[in-house]
Amino acid sequence: MRAWKWLREHALNIYAGLAIAYMLIPIVVIAVFSFAETPRDRMNFAINDGFTLEYWQNAFAVEELNESMLTSLKLAALSTVISTALGTLMALALVRYKFFGRRASNLLIVLPMAAPEIVIGAALLSMFVIYSVSLGFTTLLIAHVMFSISFVVVVVRSRLIGFDRRIEEAAADLGATPFETFRFVTLPLIAPGVMAAALLAFALSIDDFVISNFNSGTTVTFPLYVYGVALRGIPIQVLVLATMLFCVTVVAIALVIWQQRRAERMVQAQA
Amino acid sequence: MRRIRRRLVPYGLLAPGAIWLVLFFVVPMYFMGEMALRSGALEAGGFSFTWEWSNFTDALDGRGEQIVRTLFYSVTATLLALLIAYPLAYAIAIKVSRRWRLILLFAVIAPFFTTYLVRTIAWKTILADPSPMVDVLKTLGVVPEDGRVLATGGAVIAGLTYNFLPFMILPIYASLERIDLSLIEAAKDLYASARQAFLRVTLPLTMPGIVAGVLLTFIPAFGDYVNATVLGSSNQAMIGNKIQSLYLVERDYPEAAAFSFLMMAAVLVMVLIYLRAAGTEAFMGAEDEGR
Amino acid sequence: MREHKIWRLAMAVACLVGVLALAACGSDDVGGGSDEDVQVAQSGPVEGKLTISNWPGYIDPGPDGTVAEFEKKTGVEVDYIDDITSNTVFFGKLQPQLDRGESGGRDIFVVTDWMAKRMYDLGYVQELDHADLQTVFDNILPQFEKAAGDPDRKFMIPWQGGQTGIWVDTAKAPEIESISDLFDPKYKGQVILLDEMRDTVPLVMQSEGIDVDTATKDDWLAAIDKIDKAVDSGQIRKITDNSYTEDLTAGNAVASLGWSGDGSLIGRDTVEWRKPKDACDTFFDQMVIPVGAPNTAAALAFMNFVYRPEVQVDITAWVNYVQPVQGVQELLKKQDPELGNSKLIFPPPEYTAGCTEDPDPPGDFEDVRDVEGAYQDVISG
Repeated sequence: MRAWKWLREHALNIYAGLAIAYMLIPIVVIAVFSFAETPRDRMNFAINDGFTLEYWQNAFAVEELNESMLTSLKLAALSTVISTALGTLMALALVRYKFFGRRASNLLIVLPMAAPEIVIGAALLSMFVIYSVSLGFTTLLIAHVMFSISFVVVVVRSRLIGFDRRIEEAAADLGATPFETFRFVTLPLIAPGVMAAALLAFALSIDDFVISNFNSGTTVTFPLYVYGVALRGIPIQVLVLATMLFCVTVVAIALVIWQQRRAERMVQAQA
Repeated sequence: MRRIRRRLVPYGLLAPGAIWLVLFFVVPMYFMGEMALRSGALEAGGFSFTWEWSNFTDALDGRGEQIVRTLFYSVTATLLALLIAYPLAYAIAIKVSRRWRLILLFAVIAPFFTTYLVRTIAWKTILADPSPMVDVLKTLGVVPEDGRVLATGGAVIAGLTYNFLPFMILPIYASLERIDLSLIEAAKDLYASARQAFLRVTLPLTMPGIVAGVLLTFIPAFGDYVNATVLGSSNQAMIGNKIQSLYLVERDYPEAAAFSFLMMAAVLVMVLIYLRAAGTEAFMGAEDEGR
Repeated sequence: MREHKIWRLAMAVACLVGVLALAACGSDDVGGGSDEDVQVAQSGPVEGKLTISNWPGYIDPGPDGTVAEFEKKTGVEVDYIDDITSNTVFFGKLQPQLDRGESGGRDIFVVTDWMAKRMYDLGYVQELDHADLQTVFDNILPQFEKAAGDPDRKFMIPWQGGQTGIWVDTAKAPEIESISDLFDPKYKGQVILLDEMRDTVPLVMQSEGIDVDTATKDDWLAAIDKIDKAVDSGQIRKITDNSYTEDLTAGNAVASLGWSGDGSLIGRDTVEWRKPKDACDTFFDQMVIPVGAPNTAAALAFMNFVYRPEVQVDITAWVNYVQPVQGVQELLKKQDPELGNSKLIFPPPEYTAGCTEDPDPPGDFEDVRDVEGAYQDVISG
């Protein structure tokens, strides 16, 4: 009887644990296989020859993989900066001002999210082809910023909505110019939302395959590289780098969270 | 002067992003529509504009089964994702302590950072014919003895569900988090059972999150082709596969554009119908709160 | 309120006009190949950077490999990319740039002969001056001096070739010996075909007793239909490009159409290549220099380099495909007698008699497109 009660109370938590485990399965598999020895140094879908550290020791041995990873990181960084900036400004405009064309702008933001990636990628390709634009890093950047803006707007907007304007009014009362108010009051307060949006934009860019496939020409991003080698043997270094990427992100986010906690604790201590 | 400047501020803020979107989203859509009315071939002198409406009918010709199949896969994946995501989001938002919350949220987003393709290939490994996982499934009776998991509709649906799960979890979590727990308390004080409290209070309040999650899952799933390529076979080919083939392999840009256009139109119609049913405020939400 | 509506309408019209104006700037005709005169590849000092696109597993790799040797000998920095897994996909990827006279940074492509011809017809490929390719034409095996699609060897130089046959997992399905065996329900769901139409469909036609060289468009379509039905029934698990090696490795299939030299790409020891009893298809991949290639001098030098027997023998020993250079068989017999006597690598005339050579479907290019479209429909639903 007691066991039943405990089970019912914690059923949801157990479920959550199982669900999270399910979500992490592929990552575990990738990490495990990154240690698997294979005769041709490419993934063999089964662990037949034991384990080894050699691929971790030679993690950067595959030239094209490294280049594609660098390209992806560069692309994601640039795309994040541009789209977060543009998107945040748009969010500010949409939430705080009633102006003519507001509904149209809302529609404009929502449409890219509603269009399937393949349609966006193909449409961009059509335009680039018609204008004889050479496909490459620039066209990729254009595409990545484009599909990220909408997501940034949505995230920042939800943060802005709960924002108490009175703090800004107080700053103005104390003599701050609008620009100063924005810089020293507004921006820090919406920073978490902007950071979250930036993180999302970064993830979307690194992860993107479909739109990049259509618009990259011969530039190779990490997902495109993986697609190419998936057809003829994935070098184990791909798994190594993917695991590394994952770990680095874990650490980065952990740091951010820890930073936040510290800041909160300091605020609490002073209160 | 000051007043005019004030009125121009929102446009100034809006302009850069809006211009980017117009140039690189709206205009390409126009070009896609224009390409859909061209005819010809790369080897025969290029594509010229000839008001070729037949591209639209050609695109749909004989594709009925594929369209139905794509709908089936994407709807099933969306429903499955919703079923899996909601309890999980609920657990994270309401049941666990604040400490765990961030960690769990992170665990939800983390798979994102290993790239879409790598995740799908990992599943291909896990579900390969001779793998232990498939053996377990066979023992459990989920998979017939002489059957397989890969290259079946089930594998594709599983892949779709998995890949878009975070898109379903996050919006639902966001709306769950905003709920004032005292509302649920109040319901309980009024003698509502846990079930009633959930159905009558929590669920309706989280509708915006559910609507957003469903849309953010269904739309990409409908247009996906990667899962069908990696985990499926020709029998599981979705609309996305055909469009991709038309563009990148057959280079029949006009028919490809016509097909994409029709697909986009279909998605918009489905979305509009869904929003009508769920109520547009549910999605556009609290934006009119801006003062 | 009403003014608002009028304003909105005006804005919408203004936007539409703006977009149309933008659109008017776009060109009227898109694609269609370049109209300029055919370029001839220029030779010159051999230096700088060379970029080559090739199929995977088609050259001996590593610090002792041919590419490294070339780099050492000439000082040219080589970027060797094995990103070609399908002729049509590669073509589709590069077509927009080739159309504008750019090569996507590459100096040499290695594509199958029919694709090389198609590129040439579209003006995407440069012509070659035999005077710059002394070593090539001194050493080329007599049977390769002319090619069906390029009798004077104006634009394509043979790289490697082979046969399309059946890779069989002898541990699981040792009895598969012919194309018809692939349609045996015993192996339902464990058979893979190639998405290269000119490999798969002729083989199927031959297994039905049709002579490919005289086949009609209907014969092609009928064969495609047979494949379609087999896909629908689940007999054929997948139609893929080079990735069949992955499925064989993973154990997802017991047999697949495949290319004779791909052994090094398959990670399962029990899989071996078999020449089908009822069909035969050979192919030969060719080096071409695309328009806009940045370093044609180095490209020509590379072509000459690999036609030296002592260089080619290293490639052949690793790649295990049919090679085009004289004197290589004798060298290889000394190094590795088994390889040197292999019928796969050095096919005697009887071995390839009656084999087709990756033909095009008959008819004009509209007919070809119809057949290709029909096959693509089978592949992508």
